[in-house]
Formats: sequence, structure tokens, C-alpha cells
Amino acid sequence: MSEVQQARRPKILLLATTACAYPGADYVGQIHSEYSTDTYIIRVPALAVFPPEFYLRCFQKGIDGIIAMSCGHECPYPGAYERFAERIGRAQELMKRQGLDARRLRTTAICTVCGRAFLKEVQDMVQRVAQSGGQLVGK
Amino acid sequence: MSAGSSTGETVQQRLVFDALVVGGGIAGLQSAIELGDQGYKVLIVEKAPSIGGKMIGLSKVFPTLDCSSCICTPRMAAAAHHENVTIFTYSEVRRTERAGSRFQVEVVRKPRYVHEADCIGCRLCEYACPIHVEHEFEGNLGARKAIYVPFANAIPQLALVDLEHCVFCGLCEKACPTHAINFLQQPEEIAVEVGTIILATGYKMMSPERLKLYGGGRLRNVLTSLQVERLLAPHGPYGRVLRPSDGKAPSSIGYVQCAGSRDQSVGVSYCSRVCCMYAIKQAMLLSGSLPMVDITIYYMDIRAFGKGFEQFFQNAKAMGIEFVKAKVGRITEDENQNPVVRVEVMEQDGRVEERKHDMVVLSLGLLPGWDPSGVVPAEIAEDGFIRSADPLLAPARTTAEGIFVAGAAAGPKDIPDSIVEAGAAAMEAAIYLRRNGSSSNGDERAVNEQAAVVAQGRG
Amino acid sequence: MSKVNPPNEKPANGNQQPKVGVYVCRCGGNISDVVSVEKVAEAAGQMPDVVVARQNTFMCSHPGQQMIVDDIAKLGLNRVVVAACSPRLHELTFRKTLVRAGLNAYLFEHANIREQVSWVSKSDPEGATAKATRLVGAAVAKVRLSRPLDPIKVDATRQVLIIGGGVSGLRCARDLSQSGFRVVLVEQSAALGGRLTELGRLYPVQVEAREVLHSLISEVSRDAAIQVLTSAEVTAVSGSIGNFSVAVRCAQQETTIHVGAIVLATGFDTYEPLPGEYGYAEFPEVITLPQFVRLLEKQGPSDGQLQRNGRPVKNVCLVHCVGSRQIEGIHQPGPDGRLHEYCSRFCCTAALQAANEIRARFPAVNVFDVYRDIRTYGRGHESYYEQASKQGVIFFRFLAEQLPQIRRADADGSALVVQVKDTLTWGEDLEIPADLVVLVTGAVPRDLSRLIDMLKLSRSPDGFLQEVHPKLRPVETAVSGVFLAGGCQAPMDVGESCTAASAAAARVSAALLKGYVELEPFAAVADPALCTGTGACIEVCQHQRAISLVDVMADGVTLRRAQVNPALCGGCGMCVPACPHGAIQVDGWRLEQFEAMVDAIAADY
Repeated sequence: MSEVQQARRPKILLLATTACAYPGADYVGQIHSEYSTDTYIIRVPALAVFPPEFYLRCFQKGIDGIIAMSCGHECPYPGAYERFAERIGRAQELMKRQGLDARRLRTTAICTVCGRAFLKEVQDMVQRVAQSGGQLVGK
Repeated sequence: MSAGSSTGETVQQRLVFDALVVGGGIAGLQSAIELGDQGYKVLIVEKAPSIGGKMIGLSKVFPTLDCSSCICTPRMAAAAHHENVTIFTYSEVRRTERAGSRFQVEVVRKPRYVHEADCIGCRLCEYACPIHVEHEFEGNLGARKAIYVPFANAIPQLALVDLEHCVFCGLCEKACPTHAINFLQQPEEIAVEVGTIILATGYKMMSPERLKLYGGGRLRNVLTSLQVERLLAPHGPYGRVLRPSDGKAPSSIGYVQCAGSRDQSVGVSYCSRVCCMYAIKQAMLLSGSLPMVDITIYYMDIRAFGKGFEQFFQNAKAMGIEFVKAKVGRITEDENQNPVVRVEVMEQDGRVEERKHDMVVLSLGLLPGWDPSGVVPAEIAEDGFIRSADPLLAPARTTAEGIFVAGAAAGPKDIPDSIVEAGAAAMEAAIYLRRNGSSSNGDERAVNEQAAVVAQGRG
Repeated sequence: MSKVNPPNEKPANGNQQPKVGVYVCRCGGNISDVVSVEKVAEAAGQMPDVVVARQNTFMCSHPGQQMIVDDIAKLGLNRVVVAACSPRLHELTFRKTLVRAGLNAYLFEHANIREQVSWVSKSDPEGATAKATRLVGAAVAKVRLSRPLDPIKVDATRQVLIIGGGVSGLRCARDLSQSGFRVVLVEQSAALGGRLTELGRLYPVQVEAREVLHSLISEVSRDAAIQVLTSAEVTAVSGSIGNFSVAVRCAQQETTIHVGAIVLATGFDTYEPLPGEYGYAEFPEVITLPQFVRLLEKQGPSDGQLQRNGRPVKNVCLVHCVGSRQIEGIHQPGPDGRLHEYCSRFCCTAALQAANEIRARFPAVNVFDVYRDIRTYGRGHESYYEQASKQGVIFFRFLAEQLPQIRRADADGSALVVQVKDTLTWGEDLEIPADLVVLVTGAVPRDLSRLIDMLKLSRSPDGFLQEVHPKLRPVETAVSGVFLAGGCQAPMDVGESCTAASAAAARVSAALLKGYVELEPFAAVADPALCTGTGACIEVCQHQRAISLVDVMADGVTLRRAQVNPALCGGCGMCVPACPHGAIQVDGWRLEQFEAMVDAIAADY
């Protein structure tokens, strides 16, 4: 693989909660399902830690898509899920204001054995990023 | 007690713990964690190859509809990683003798035919194995291999060989990167000394074979409630809900309550306590995954007694799930294998009706998981479950001093009640240990050094 | 509160220039069959601050771990990354390896290249190698910014406050005293015993409540480690787990006690029917089950007559679910404005026990039982139902939509008539004669508003006190160090209350036994150099209330600065974005670390 080709591959960030989504991603591995290698999982205790600007900075750095995989209402930290939802809402507003496609930032709840939901979310984002080609790629 | 192996010749190891917990389901795990958190050294002996018990196989759990695995796996991991908890899976308690306030226990570790220290749970053996066997974990609706890791989120992630079905082709041996497979492995006998025992041996489901009037287990589209749990699990055998005979998505499902509970004719007079709620829960989940389905629950009394249960039941009624007060007399099937239930509908005119469904689920009752007779000196009551010496002030105490009981081993029980009872059993056991001079390392008294040495070698 | 240094760890060395060692595991082919482990290690060797990058067949094996220990000694590594299976399997293993080699356990990062790379990328080995390399890069980026962390230890008082002297409080007090704790038991009424003082014989063993209570109270009174304060109430609470300060008013005196934990054993109230509800307070022949139990006690020997207001009772009618299982639009809310939608759990068995007692003691008295569902769920309870049927108790079943009506009888004979649309006889309208109507009342939540305010507790939708999670943490409240025992959480019978009380005692014991509370080091920390005291973080930390503003002296000036109480912080980090100055961060998961990881993933190798 040449370096030029490598540089052109999209990068999708999966922010996965320690309690639910991260084990959910492990589960997909344990059943040996396959998904795109353009995905990078970062483990996070609770997604409420990220300010809305964090997501924008990710796109500026060259990340093509982000899926914020939460525990949903099974979040072990009282109130954190609601804060996260608020902040994601603001991030998407900021994206629109800056002319970024808000579909590049997805949120979903993934449980520890939600393999199918995980694969579908990843597949959808891979397609979304591929379809929009160069347009989606942040600068 | 026979002389047998007590000569010590066949005994290879001798381990010392503060407490023995028999059973590694949710009640056993919770008991062990509660004791471990109080600084006591605990051994869990689990007969299955993974901890997690019944709960790890369930889909979602009432009344909060949490994903069962999401609640159970952290508990499994907490026990497995606990510095004070040692786990022997695929092992059984053979014999117990009281020695003063303490107990001498003989534990047998069954051969996995896979060397535990070497197996890395990679499943390459499983992929190489050509033999397909009905998978117990999937309620026999799915298949596994003759060498297999028990299920995806099993703890420990270790393979075992099912010798009954193995054809000794050797393909797994070739595939194993660590040469962990050893067909010559023998059962290992371990002598253990403990200060107290908690029985958390759980329950088993009533067998549908015993319910002759309900088809005796021969009707294809009459499923057990545990099978439906697997159909509903996000990682279940079919990946979605369909009926076994022809793979059709059912549009009409009937639930038969008290199938093997409150029924003298099968020798079970007690209420199994969880079946109303799990049927309602399954009905709600089925309505979610099959939007057009009609669900009817045939019941005697709906027993939604726990915290948040009645509200859950009322929600199910509001969702359109039909509740019919009727005892199902018989289940047969028509020429298309559609189950037909014969009921006396009490709320109308009491007429006897035959109602056809695409699928029928038996809300099976709970039977004692284990009989301690001759193995552990605890008594069972008339219902077959472990007898409680003081159901009012100390329900976790058995009639045997120093032996306690938690969860469904002391009678059918839901998960919240089992977990709370596990805490109570652990408290009782800790008090017993203190009273008899056993120390806890959390207590800042002398650490039980023998036990500390033993803390390695976790299964 | 003091921070205690863990005794066994050497001084941390995380403040020097990072020297990172990277170890890539082959996992016996599980990783290396897909990912080119050699290429990953080679690329890792070029990453900033990486001193050494190696690969091994099984990093978790003894030789694998020893390689790390040796490199730490020889090369002076102060940070380690292992790229292998999921951290859920071996993160702890490698943290211990670091500690063995004298490094702080938290100067370790784990890159997951098996479950999240090789096992999910079989058909794309090149992509998998590139992905694994970037994930290693992210781990290196994070570990470079890692700081040594110590478990948070908070000194804890080995004394516990129990509020409520009913069966749950008494049982919990006994358990804790026998576990080596001192207990202060505060009861608002003049005597111990709570609800149990009102009960007669207790199912499922037919023991008199007063006998059970007597043995328990005498045990507690004899116990030197338990201080009982009756006619007492809690007036103020401050502090946190390990160190609560509680003001208690007792005999016109206010005293302050110091406790490590608080157990709520405040129980429930029994439902008082509304005037006119099923004829209650309208007809003297309509009474509640607790009143009936007292009536039964006062009656003579079993050959005597059952009487009410001096008149012999020939027919008794029990009506179930009064004040329980209420449905909006059908039932009236109670005086507290609340509809009691829940099942009260113990009343079916208690009612049948009473029914059986009538039939046994007064065989001439007819007993009619009007119910919705009979919920004899507990062990041994079903036999009360069976016995009732055998003894000739006659059952009628109604639907919530068609509640029974009670009126005076027109003719002579019984005093009252209970009208039921009975679904057991296919919806027939029946009239039941009754000289006595017993309303089977259940449990209602107590008014605990003062305690709830003081302790910042929350209620479940049903009005009872709320646990953190019914399965994960069933006896704990969201306030660390405050526990629930018994009927304050939900309706429970005596056995269930005792079980819950013991479970609460077990949790208290685990929390305080060591004399200190040990918590994971992943707590928020406010940097006083950056903080300007806006209080924005405090606002978002509503649930935990872990942050407060404190006065800090700097250059002779007093400043208000945020301070986190690590005993209360769960490490969720929702305070982090709230701060306009980035002054608050979660140890081990600082925002700059996440930013660095994203940089590494966005970079090309």
C-alpha cells in the first residue's frame, strides 16, 4: 500500500462507553463478525466528558465520521446521559452552522451484546462517508 | 461417610478459604463479592464451564428491561477479578465434613481436556471442529461444536471438549496455537478447608416432558420460556424471532401460565414467582420485534408483586397484550403444526374454547437446582428447596450451623430478590466467621496466610 | 478527610520525560495471522518518546510480562503500552506487571488489537495492520500524558447511624454490631418495634409478632455496641461517606454524632382508606385488616363468638387491594395526592391467614374473600390459599373496572351487603351478606420529606425511596454512604425486611470495615491555578454534589475555588466541558489525552 493511498482512506471514530458500548464492540470480535478497518474505537467512561467543540476539532483534524456509542438510559452515571445528549445537540448545531454535514456525527446506544446494532451503525456510517466522497472529508 | 478418598492418597492439593460458595450464578457471584469486599477469601465452585448461571442467558430483565448480559457480565467480571475470590468452574462439591466450626470439603474439577493455563480462548479449535451439536445455552435451538467455548461472553474464556460427541479427529489439536488440548486429562480431586458455606445452587426449569397434557415436549411450535429468552436475546440463535417448525414469523402467540407450578398433578404446589413477570416481559419484547403479533396470556392470577412490577403489568395491558383468566387444559396441534390450546374462559360465559396460535410458550415453573443430600449437611424442605431455619428473622440461615443459602436455592426468586438475599447470606456468613475466630484481611487483623497463598490459580 | 498513601507502591516517577515501551502481542496467531505484528512494532518504534517496541507470542505469559519488567529496569522505561486482546481481559494483568517493576500502575495503556482489529478484519490484513498501528499510536499518545495515580483513600468512622427502630433497623443494628461496628439507632417514637408491634401472628411460621420482637429488642438492648435513642430525630446531616456529622435531637437535647454511614430503616405506613371508600368511616362494620387483626386478638378462646360492637358476626367479607394496585381514572388519589399503583406484596397472604384463623376459631362464621388476583407468591404462602379453599372460604373475583359496592342491607339479617360482579361465575352480579367488612389495606410511603431534603435522596415513581439500581446496587442510594433497609424502599414482609436489612449491613460493612474507604483514582480534579470560581462545574454535578467552592489563600488573598470531594465523584466527567477555563479534568481520562489520541488516529504512519 502506498502512502498516498493510505492517506486517502477515511477515518471513522467510535467513541465507546466502558460499561456498554466498548464490551459491545468486543462482543462483535468474539463472534468474529467483520467490519471496516477504517474504524477506530476510543474507550470513554462517559461521553458527557466531551464539549461540543471536541467533535468539531475531530473533523478539523481529518476524522470523517464519528459514532458516539453510549449506554443510553442504562448509563451508570446519574444525569450523564442527559448531559451528553445536550452536548451532542449543540455539536450538531455548530456543525450545521459551519456547513458540515451533521450526519457525520451519529449517536446510538450499544449494549454489551448488541452486535447487530453495532455492525449496522458502522456499516451505515461507512456508506455515508463513502457516498459523500471528498465532500464529507473535513479539511 | 465412606472411607473412600479420605486417606489423602489421591488428594493432590489442600486449599484453605474462609468461605465456599456453591454455585456461580448471580446469587453465588453476589454472595462471593459481598464476602470478598469484606476481606474474606472465597472459593466459588460452579458446575458449568462458565459462571453466570441462568441470568447470563436471558434477554432483557423485568421490570426495567435492562439488557441481562449488561447487568450480569460486570458482576461476573467483578468476581473473576476480585483479589479475594477464587473460582473453580466445571467443578463439583463431592463431600463435606464438619470439623469443629469449619468444614472439610472435597471438590472435583472435571476434565475440560483443555489445559486451562494454556488456553487463550481464541476458538480456533472450535472453527476446526467438524462436529455440530445442539447447543444447551441456546435452548437447543442453535448448534455448537464438540470442542467449544461455552458462549460468547463466558467467563472464563476457555474451551472444553464434549467427549460424548467428539470423534477424535485431532483437527482441534492441530489448530490450537498453544497446544492446550489434552485428551488424557483426568478429573482432579481437591481438598478444601472452609469456615462457612453458602449454597447458591439456583433452580432448574420444569421439564416440558413432564407436562403430558401440554404435548410432553413433542410439539415443535410449543417452546419453553427459556428458549424464547434466547430467541429474544440480541445474539440469539436465529437472530430474530421465528417459530422452529417452518421459520415463519409468528403472528399469534399464546402464553400458558403456571405450566408446572401451582399444580398438584405434577407434584408442584408452590408458585414459581417469576413466570408471570417473565411472560409479561417476553410479551412486551415480542410485541416490539413483531409489530403485527397478537399475544394472549392465559393465567390463573397475575402475580406482579415486586417493586415496579404492577406498573409493568398495567403497561403491558395498555400495549394491547390480552390477558385471559383461564387454566389451559390441553395443548394439541393441527396439521400445520399450529398449537391449539383448550381453555375454559372464565371471564365470559365459562365456555370451553379451542384457540389456535402460531406459537405457544410454556411459562415453566422452577424446580430445585440441586439436592445437597449426602454432599452438604443442609436439609431440604417439602418443596425440595433448601430449608430455611428462620424464615422471619434470618431467611438465609439453613438448619445446619455455618451453612447459609442465597437466591433460588431457597425457593423460586427473581433477580432483585436473589441479589438482596445474596447480600444477607454473605452478612450471615461473615458474622459466623467472626464469631468462630476467622479473620478477614479487611478487618486489619491477622491475614489468613494460608488463604492468601491460595488466591492464585483462579479458574 | 485525609489522603493515605498506599503502602506498597514505590514513589511514582511519572513526571520525568516519558520513556515509552511498546509491546505487541501475536496471541499465537490470533492477532499475527491478520495483523503484521512486525510492521506495527516497527512503526511504534518511530513514535515520539518510544524507547523500545517489541513483539511476543503471548504477552500475558510469564516470559512476555518478564520482558516488560526487564526493559523497565534496563532501559528506564516510565510508560508502557501493550497491544493485545481487550483490556477487559488483561489490563489488570499488565498494571500489576508495572507495579512489580516499581512503576505506578496507571502509567500503562492497553491497545485492543484482537477483539477490535484482527478478529473483525480477516479479509483486510493491510487495513488491519494500519488500524492496529494507529490504535497503538493513540495509546502511546495517551500514555505520554498519563500521570501516576493513587487509589483514593478516605478515613472512615466505624460507627453507623440507623434511622428507624422497626424490625429492619433492629436487624441491621444487630448485624453491624456483630461485624464490629458501633451503632447509633434513632427511633422517633417512644419505643422500639415499629410496625411489628401492631401485628399478630406472622406468616409463614405462625409465630406471634411480639415474641419475635421481644427476642430482637432484648438482643439489641443487651448489646453494648448499640446505642438506642428513642423519641429522637435527626435534625441535620453534613459530610460524606466515611465522615458524616449528624445532629440528633433527643429529650430536648441536641447532640452531634459522627458516623461513617447512614442506614435508612424508616419503614412504611399502612394505607388509611378515604372516608366513604368501600363504606369506610361510614359504616362501623367496615374496618381495615390491621384493625381486624387487633379485634381477633381481643376475642375469647376459639370456641367463643366473633363479635363486633357487641353483636355476633356471622359473615365476614374481605376486600383485597384497598389502596394498592390503583388505576388512574378508577381510584381516587390518597391524602398525599398520590395514586398507589403498586402491589403491596404482603396483604394477600396476610388476609388469607386471617381468613383461615376465622374459619379455624369460629367455624360457624362464613368467610367471603373478594379479590383481584391472589398473590401468594412467597415460599409457603400458596398453602394459605389452598388451606383457605379447603376450609370453605368462598372466593369472588372482581375487575378493577368494576369495583365492589358496599351498602346497608335492606332486610333483617346481616348488617351490610357487598355487591360484586364476580368473574369466577362468568360476570354474575352477586350480593354477599356481611356483618363485618375487612378492607385489606397495604403499604404507603412515609412522609420523609425532611430526611429526603437533608440527605438529598430521591424517590421512585411510587413514592418509596429509590435505590441506585434494583439489580446492581439494590440497597444503596445515589448518595454514597447512605443505604436502604426494608420497607422504606418498597412494601416488604418481615422476612423480606430482615433480608434487606442484612444486605444493607453487608454493604456498610464492606465500605467501612477497613477504617478507610478506598475508591478508584479516576476522579475529577480542579486545578486551582486555572479555576476562577465560576461554579459552573458545581451546577452540572447535581446528582453527585461532589464539587464545592472553598476559600483558598494565595499571596495573602482569599479566593473561591472549586474543590472536588473524591469520595463523592464517580468520574463521569460531565463537569469537564462546563468549565470555561478547562480547569477541571478527570484523572486518567483528561481531555488533552483524548485530543492526543484523536491526533494520533488522524496522523499517518
